[in-house]
Amino acid sequence: MKKYFPSFILMFLLTSAVAVAQSNDISPQRKQAIDSLALEKVKDLSKYISIIGSKETQFSEANRVMDRAEELFAPGAEMGVSSINTKEVAYYKVRRYFERLMALNYDRVNISWYDIHYISDLERQPDGRFVGVVTVYQRFEGTSQEAGLNYRDTTKKDITIYVERKSTQVAGRTIEFWDVMLGDIRVTETTS
Amino acid sequence: MRKTILLVLLVISSIQFAPGQGLYSPGQPADDGRFAASTKQVNQFFRRFNAEESQDGKKRYYSNDAEYRSTDLRKKFLDILFDNETSSIEAELKKEFVVDVINEEQPKYLDFHQGEWFAEVQTTFKYQGKSENVTLFMKLQPEGLGYEWVIERVGFEPFKKYFDKDTGSKKQFLHPLSHELDFMNLRRAFQENPKPESYTPTDYEPDYLTLFLYEIKKGHFKFENVTDLKFHFFQIDNWYFELAQFNRPGFNTGWLISNLVKLQEGDEDAVLKYIYDQK
Repeated sequence: MKKYFPSFILMFLLTSAVAVAQSNDISPQRKQAIDSLALEKVKDLSKYISIIGSKETQFSEANRVMDRAEELFAPGAEMGVSSINTKEVAYYKVRRYFERLMALNYDRVNISWYDIHYISDLERQPDGRFVGVVTVYQRFEGTSQEAGLNYRDTTKKDITIYVERKSTQVAGRTIEFWDVMLGDIRVTETTS
Repeated sequence: MRKTILLVLLVISSIQFAPGQGLYSPGQPADDGRFAASTKQVNQFFRRFNAEESQDGKKRYYSNDAEYRSTDLRKKFLDILFDNETSSIEAELKKEFVVDVINEEQPKYLDFHQGEWFAEVQTTFKYQGKSENVTLFMKLQPEGLGYEWVIERVGFEPFKKYFDKDTGSKKQFLHPLSHELDFMNLRRAFQENPKPESYTPTDYEPDYLTLFLYEIKKGHFKFENVTDLKFHFFQIDNWYFELAQFNRPGFNTGWLISNLVKLQEGDEDAVLKYIYDQK
């Protein structure tokens, strides 16, 4: 929470610059600020995934990072994973996905992220919250010395973001801010 | 000695960087342009079709931006929004479509909320012990404070055999004076005829969606998977196109137009009938 506080303040300032009343649309300026916050959370997730997947990470540390990573998500979020060979989607709760990632049977794992992302428009859902999708690409490399395996893939990750206006009390004053939570993630293996 | 210290520092720094390579961290792989070229989301298809973002997708254009919906940009985008590798859309037809949508006097744009486009979702459900394909036709509708996707129709092959009404002399009927006998012939109609649909009006159409929901509630359908997805667009006057996802090597990938039809009067119904009945 603490690390996002400067972003909240920024969002607050941007919010207060526009009309205070709840509006149906998000202005381009506010959208840009929300995009930055969403991207920050996606960056954190990408970092956590790389740490959880790495064989150099201690078990206790990986568990701590998994807790942090889980905090980025709205309750009940799932990962839907498919590969090139099958159209079947395997569904995992976020925690289960992280645990599977940690347990992968490689001696060395390197997870890195391409220098590209795409952020959709924000759409309002029936309950008034806004929803968007951030797309990123991940490269996975796993080496198993005993079996002489060298596995590599690139996956596209379409990450749901929920954007909600919340309020908090600071020194007796109510401050409104826009919060971003991650939701379901669709993981697709790419052929490139 | 200095060399050793330098080496130790290098080793320490590499230990710190190796495990935690997040998005936009040092040493990340660079896109060679393929991911940038790919139409990564349906949302991006809309934006590119209307020229509402920059060529690299990094900047969203709004109505006060000079490039917003620029004809030149639209031309560039529309060229890359077709599946140019596997679909057999004729070049002339494609050209005619592009000329029509970027027409200076009456340009045509796509609108996410305007309707006249819907999703065809291929799914599998466990039904009577077997994994069966179920097609869900879904549309976007306003609800509460925003929008939601809803199931408008269902296609399910095994349902069809239950509604196979005979025609002509084979068709069973209740004769026109049945009412004088208090419809006593209904007993024979229901107990001795396996096709009760014979006694429905000519324009009767079974509602598979209701049937499907009923079967789900009864526990007869168990969801398994989503196996495929495409979209059908009727939003551009006199045109129909299909949008499908292409996951393959190269630059012509992502959400692309996979089928294009110029519609004459009455064609829309025929295309819709084909879409709904093909599975």
